Amino acid sequence: MIDRRLIENIDWFLIGLLVLNSLLGVVVIYSASHYVPGNYHVRQLFFIGASLLALFVLLLVDYQVLMTFSFYFYGAVVFVLLMMLVFGRFISKGSWIKLRYFQIQPSELAKIALILVLAHLFAEYKRKHVSATAVLTSSGLVALPFLLVAMQPDLGTAVSFLPLLLGSLILAGLRRNAVVWILLLALLAGVAGWNFYLKDYQKKRLATVVFPSRDPQGAGYHILQSKIAIGSGGFLGKGFARGSQSQLKFLPARHTDFVFSVIGEEFGFIGVVGILFLYYLFLWRLFRSAGKSRDRAGVYVTFMVSLMIAFQLLVNVAMVIGIFPIVGIPLPLLSYGGSSLLANYLGVGLVLNVKMRRFANI
Amino acid sequence: MEKDKYYEDLSLILNRSHKVSIVIGLLFLFLVFFCWKVQILDHKKYWNLAEANRTRESVIMAPRGLITDRNDIILADNTASFKASIIRENCRDYDRSLAEVGGLLEIGPEDLRTRIAKYEALPPFRPIVVKDNLDLKDVSLIESRRLELPELIVETDPRRYYRFGSLAAHVIGYLQELSGLELKSEAYPERGLGDMVGRTGMERQYDSFLVGTDGRRLEIVDSQGRSRGEISRAEPTPGRDIRLALDFDLQQKATQLLEGREGAIIVLDPRSGEVLALASFPTYDPNKFITRFSPQEWMDLINREDHPLENRAIRGLYAPGSIFKLTMALGALNAGVINEQTSFFCAGSVNFYGRPFNCWQRGGHGALGLTDAIRHSCNVYFYNVGRRMGIERIAESAELLGLGAKTGIDLPGEKEGLVPTPEWSRSVRKTDWYAGETISVAIGQGPLVVTPLQVAVHVTILANRGRGVVPHLLMSSTSSQGRPSGPAPSHAAAEKVRADIFETVIRGMWKSVNEEGTGRGAKVDGFDVCGKTGSTQLISRERAEKLGKEVKTHSWFAGFAPRDNPQLVVIVLVEHGGMGGATAAPLAKELFSLYKEKYD
Repeated sequence: MIDRRLIENIDWFLIGLLVLNSLLGVVVIYSASHYVPGNYHVRQLFFIGASLLALFVLLLVDYQVLMTFSFYFYGAVVFVLLMMLVFGRFISKGSWIKLRYFQIQPSELAKIALILVLAHLFAEYKRKHVSATAVLTSSGLVALPFLLVAMQPDLGTAVSFLPLLLGSLILAGLRRNAVVWILLLALLAGVAGWNFYLKDYQKKRLATVVFPSRDPQGAGYHILQSKIAIGSGGFLGKGFARGSQSQLKFLPARHTDFVFSVIGEEFGFIGVVGILFLYYLFLWRLFRSAGKSRDRAGVYVTFMVSLMIAFQLLVNVAMVIGIFPIVGIPLPLLSYGGSSLLANYLGVGLVLNVKMRRFANI
Repeated sequence: MEKDKYYEDLSLILNRSHKVSIVIGLLFLFLVFFCWKVQILDHKKYWNLAEANRTRESVIMAPRGLITDRNDIILADNTASFKASIIRENCRDYDRSLAEVGGLLEIGPEDLRTRIAKYEALPPFRPIVVKDNLDLKDVSLIESRRLELPELIVETDPRRYYRFGSLAAHVIGYLQELSGLELKSEAYPERGLGDMVGRTGMERQYDSFLVGTDGRRLEIVDSQGRSRGEISRAEPTPGRDIRLALDFDLQQKATQLLEGREGAIIVLDPRSGEVLALASFPTYDPNKFITRFSPQEWMDLINREDHPLENRAIRGLYAPGSIFKLTMALGALNAGVINEQTSFFCAGSVNFYGRPFNCWQRGGHGALGLTDAIRHSCNVYFYNVGRRMGIERIAESAELLGLGAKTGIDLPGEKEGLVPTPEWSRSVRKTDWYAGETISVAIGQGPLVVTPLQVAVHVTILANRGRGVVPHLLMSSTSSQGRPSGPAPSHAAAEKVRADIFETVIRGMWKSVNEEGTGRGAKVDGFDVCGKTGSTQLISRERAEKLGKEVKTHSWFAGFAPRDNPQLVVIVLVEHGGMGGATAAPLAKELFSLYKEKYD
């Protein structure tokens, strides 16, 4: 089923960067949570192992086959999301489904389903520019899970579906006036969202990005504490497990969404640049993998996976240094959390899958 | 070329992907730039904020010095008290937390807001006291809600405790929290918000002495405000103790004697001027004011009609009444207008300037000499003396004996009183002095007003045969404490008055007590008490009769014992007490007896 040549073509460098980043995450998670019960670093190690296993299992199946089944995956995910909304009170809490030993976040896995379904949609799309029908179809495909997740409500994860849509449309070729339309629609959606969807606390968060110190005890508190953590780290940082902002719990969500602030505080500018550099290598390698794809679908898959991870990274960092509203998007690979980790590993798995099967089976 | 048959041309979408990845790369650079700004350029600012977050400086209050009586019985002590404070920076939702804290501590939300508003200038991590003197129930209630209300903490402080409550309250005084206005006034350069300061009495007079130096503690705290250990600590230095001249037993006795009346008692040692007892009634419990917040009780006390906060001994202004006959006698003898043998006839009333002046004894005393006039407190005799002396010489004698001037006691707020002169009448009252007024002043009435303490000094000068004292509460004998500040005692009387004149007046005082005079109620067997009573009319007898009701006179007794080498002076004033001999003299007797028992 899997021949030697395929194994030879596995991008071990990419896997190495993936695991390295994840393990650095474990170090920071330890620093940010060793003083509270929960053993998050141990659990994260377990998640890494499990995700890595899932990644290798994914490699066994040709991505072409996966795409053939993509509508089933998509349907299953949408069904689960729908069930969560309807029977939410019994099986889930917000975006989480509680199982006996752990809880999972189906919205994270929805990303993978979306990538596959969008790649499948555009696999044979050879026109120079995208047509209105294709825009509407793809938008519809994304809009359904987007709304379901946004209603959970988990705005952060819902928003991270959008780059998948936008990415696939960019690849398919957007005309200039289409870009104008999209911006216009986004503006409309923003206005509508502000008035009908956003809760007061979310509005406050948006407002405090502009004026973080206006209300330091309220919505601006988290942003301010995060900026204090990062800023006080200075050039060299305060040292491993020695950041007062995180160790004394001034920083919110230290081992999850704000893990980057812990890095900034304890490892300083050096640590921040180091992490961003590793990320850049990783993403560069991911984006470059598109060139190793044997077909159009592979390019779409690779590009969307890269964009998905890049988007989360950029938004998360922008959020914790206070130039973007706090929307609850974790730092990919470094933040604690199994579902997000698994989704990213599966995404990278898809890229590896594309890459190792770059030679057509003649 | 073979390849192209199997591989489609993906260069267009690869090119698009490449462009996006370049945009992503630029965004990376932007993030790095922003991190540079926050971590390198603004580092100092955020470092300071982080330090302010993680550290909390708190004040360790220094206990005030103790105040004891002359035998080291502690009158003003310190105990531990719990206080609840709010740390504003720990409030997640300010309004909600005010509501919750208010509910927990039973403080109205508006009240709470005003309390906190007072300290707005403090940094937000500094605790602000919202309630003190917590009982254990409150403490455990707060502790049990530690996690829900990280902004509310309990601290302990030493707190002033007056062991005997209202005993000697007017001497010891009380503490109150410094107001914001006072802090700005630079009168208290060393003090901060929330510090207590002595308001009256010893607490105020020797405040700088009693107050210690507060300690400072720098702690590491977490986001819940919980301490994670100390960084540094400067121990507080307690204030210095002071020992008062008060004698606990005499003070207690004096207070008991006044119970249920309005008035003042002063006991002092004529040899040194040490005040052995100084009581004013009604009184109050100074423990009530130590709480930072008792505006209602405070207002109640201020507005009470019998003015319990007033120290009548040094601030009450009373006509001296017949006590002033001593002043008259001494002045007249010294001026030579009479001698000991001079006698006048008392028919119960005498006419001067076309107006009758009555003696209290309506039937009259008949003919009597000076010492018997003192003994029986004959008004007519002294009307005559007053007419001979004239107001100028009367005033001169009064001033020589310490009336109408502050005694210089180490108690804040002492009043001056008034010894009237024609000049005073013209410049203050804007009328001429009437000769008839001189006759009134001669028996201690008219515009003449003095404080009980001035009377004490007056009697002391007589007892010491001219040697004056400055009464003081701080024991002069202990060297470790500051000497009572104040004027040096005046011995002018000793220089200006012949010794035998003192003896004559004292003989009259002795007769008053020991030979069935008006002061007989103060007689103590074997203790040779000398004294003089006084009953000051508040309105004239005629008017009282017209009103058809009895307005009781203020009742005075002023005396000393023993006659030779006097050891104590006792002044008793009871407002509306009736005749001095009936009310004040027996109270003085109790004090003389107690002193004799204790020190003989």
